[in-house]
Amino acid sequence: MRAAWVNGTGAVTPLGRTWRETCDALAAGRCAIAPIASFDASGFPSRHAAEIDRDFSETDRRTALALDAAREAWAAAGLDRQPPDPLQVGVFIGAESGRLPFSTLAALARAGGPGPALDHGRFSREAESRACDLDSRLVSPAVVAARLARELGARGSVATVSLACASGAAAIAEASRAVRQGECEVALAGGVGADVDPLMLAGFGLLGALSASGMSRPFDRRRDGFVLGEGAGMVVLSCKRGVARVAGIGRTLDAWSLTAPAPDGSGSLRAMRLALAEAGLESVDVVQAHGTSTPLNDAIEARAIREALGESLPSSHVSSIKGALGHTIAAAGALGFIAAVEAVVTGTVLPTAGLAEPDRDCVLPHVVGRALSRQVDSAMVNSFAFGGANCTLVVTRE
Amino acid sequence: MSAPVAIVGAGAVSAFGIGWRGLGEAVAAGHLQPRESVLLRESHPGTFASEVSEIPAALDAGNARARKLMSRAARLAAIAMREALVDAGFAERREEIGAWMGVGASGIAMEDVPAIVSASFVDGGLSLHRLGDQGLMACNPLFTFQTLNNFSLCHGAILEGLGGPNAAFFSRGSGTAVALAEALHALREGDCDRAIAGGADTALHPVTWAELRREGFSAQGLVPGEGAAVLALARGTSSRALGLLESCTAIAGAQAGTTPVSGELELLPQRADLVVIAPWGAPARAWLGDVAVTRYAGAAIVDVSLRLGDSLAATPALAWVAALDLLRPGERAVVLTLDVDGDLTAAVFRKESP
Repeated sequence: MRAAWVNGTGAVTPLGRTWRETCDALAAGRCAIAPIASFDASGFPSRHAAEIDRDFSETDRRTALALDAAREAWAAAGLDRQPPDPLQVGVFIGAESGRLPFSTLAALARAGGPGPALDHGRFSREAESRACDLDSRLVSPAVVAARLARELGARGSVATVSLACASGAAAIAEASRAVRQGECEVALAGGVGADVDPLMLAGFGLLGALSASGMSRPFDRRRDGFVLGEGAGMVVLSCKRGVARVAGIGRTLDAWSLTAPAPDGSGSLRAMRLALAEAGLESVDVVQAHGTSTPLNDAIEARAIREALGESLPSSHVSSIKGALGHTIAAAGALGFIAAVEAVVTGTVLPTAGLAEPDRDCVLPHVVGRALSRQVDSAMVNSFAFGGANCTLVVTRE
Repeated sequence: MSAPVAIVGAGAVSAFGIGWRGLGEAVAAGHLQPRESVLLRESHPGTFASEVSEIPAALDAGNARARKLMSRAARLAAIAMREALVDAGFAERREEIGAWMGVGASGIAMEDVPAIVSASFVDGGLSLHRLGDQGLMACNPLFTFQTLNNFSLCHGAILEGLGGPNAAFFSRGSGTAVALAEALHALREGDCDRAIAGGADTALHPVTWAELRREGFSAQGLVPGEGAAVLALARGTSSRALGLLESCTAIAGAQAGTTPVSGELELLPQRADLVVIAPWGAPARAWLGDVAVTRYAGAAIVDVSLRLGDSLAATPALAWVAALDLLRPGERAVVLTLDVDGDLTAAVFRKESP
């Protein structure tokens, strides 16, 4: 069977307009998390996020971020100069629903009456007259992939993976499969998240998943929840030899709880073992962990990583870029994957920002402070979702 | 040579009721008629729809507490998943079973939004400061569970103990075909030996229906529907196989307008004894009907959308199980759907002669 190679990467994050800018900032130990500036978050239980301080001409922020990252990846792969056959280009994107501006949502809700109970009849009459605000281009997850396909002239498979926090990694897994099986010669894959808005802050706040301290501290003793971030990560995959190979994919379901991982870490452990087995490896040099900074998830992931790598663990390095970039939800797995590719290609092992006092339940060979430089032949990326879906990817130099 | 993949069970919930056996026959015989929607009675009175009627407690998904966490689509998905697993006899080693689903945008209960908003107004104006405090307190704490699209997959997976490879694809039709195609690939590659694949959705959410109306689909004949359908698949052939899954393809047509460009029709299979079509409305019906008649001369043609309406992510999956119900030994069925985004899907099933 053919291999799926990484030919180009691109990213837009609060730390940079390109992956190179982002990587340099991450390597230096910088953190993008700050008090939320895009709206008044003073009443919310969590008031910090990693925001991109830019306005975009595209109406939909997700699409704007994804387009910039895709163009970078496309150019890095040299496809802007030598475009492939459109029928052989697939697009696989991890994205969740977008949201209308909260003012629009509020106006729509007010159309259902002034009180706390919805008057359905009035809502129907009034909301219809406001229908111009109900723009599906702002809401549908599929809009991002369709727009990217149009931008690239892609006429092959177009798919939108909506798998919450594992969306980006799962999209790369699907694209790898398509390239390996010859369904397409070239695939654009990745994820985008633009979830720093009142509704998501309310939703995740209700779950108690967000950091009250406003700090993202993966695997740290003081961690108290995740911090929302926004960004996009895209890669170009093809059967043509590139800088790194997607060597292993492991996908499992916890089948345990909507919001908590299986306490024994069995679901994530199986995903890691499946990916390692497919790659023909028992160890990896680098682990880019899911590491969200939530008390339960980090401890369970750390345990699963220890079990998966066994005696080889001390010779590996573990970090999570969520300490610096927050949790970008549907983009998280793609950005983690790009960090893993970076490690394999340049030997740069990015640190975990915010980690100063490792929890005794999270004992791992952490990378803290600044980036390490070493030879990296293989790296593993974890991506775990609300709902219990797990996706682990392994990338190798050969 | 690709390994054969057998369909060894199915599950469905639709206006026909719970269960997939007899669904195709009922559709073909014209036994189902869209009726005035109960779910849209308050917001859009007089809307004719293909709606799931009251669900018997014994057949419902999970317990009352679990259902409070579910969107309607997630609830329908869980019912169909359970039936498919039982129908297939997939009782053992469920942690190895793969699951791929086409899912729509999970509509939150409309009652939650005004509750949040009302608590967030100060002197007639919206205060985000109040939203983060009183608004949050006024909100149903379970609200978040209904908002994530992948929960239409995960609720059922948790209830049924499924732990294999998986993905949820956003779908207004074609994403569900991608889900089946991915399941097919995974089985052929050996990622798993057994899997379920399908779709679940409802077009009977007030906001969804308002959006479809705004986009002009209602005026062009789209009848809103809802449901869920799931196929249980196994690698290899099986004596208990209901049929074989030959292929599943999604052809993106969004770039080309509302219908796929003609050259891409060459990707469709050549021969069929039975053609099941699921067009969203009149223009799509005319186009798909023309394809079915000209390309598959002599084949029996059944239009499921005339009876089941359009249930977005569930539409292709409901058409598959209807085809499975109608498929006779020695026959080959092609299921064609054309969704509201102009994407064409084609699934091919075959039933071997005894």
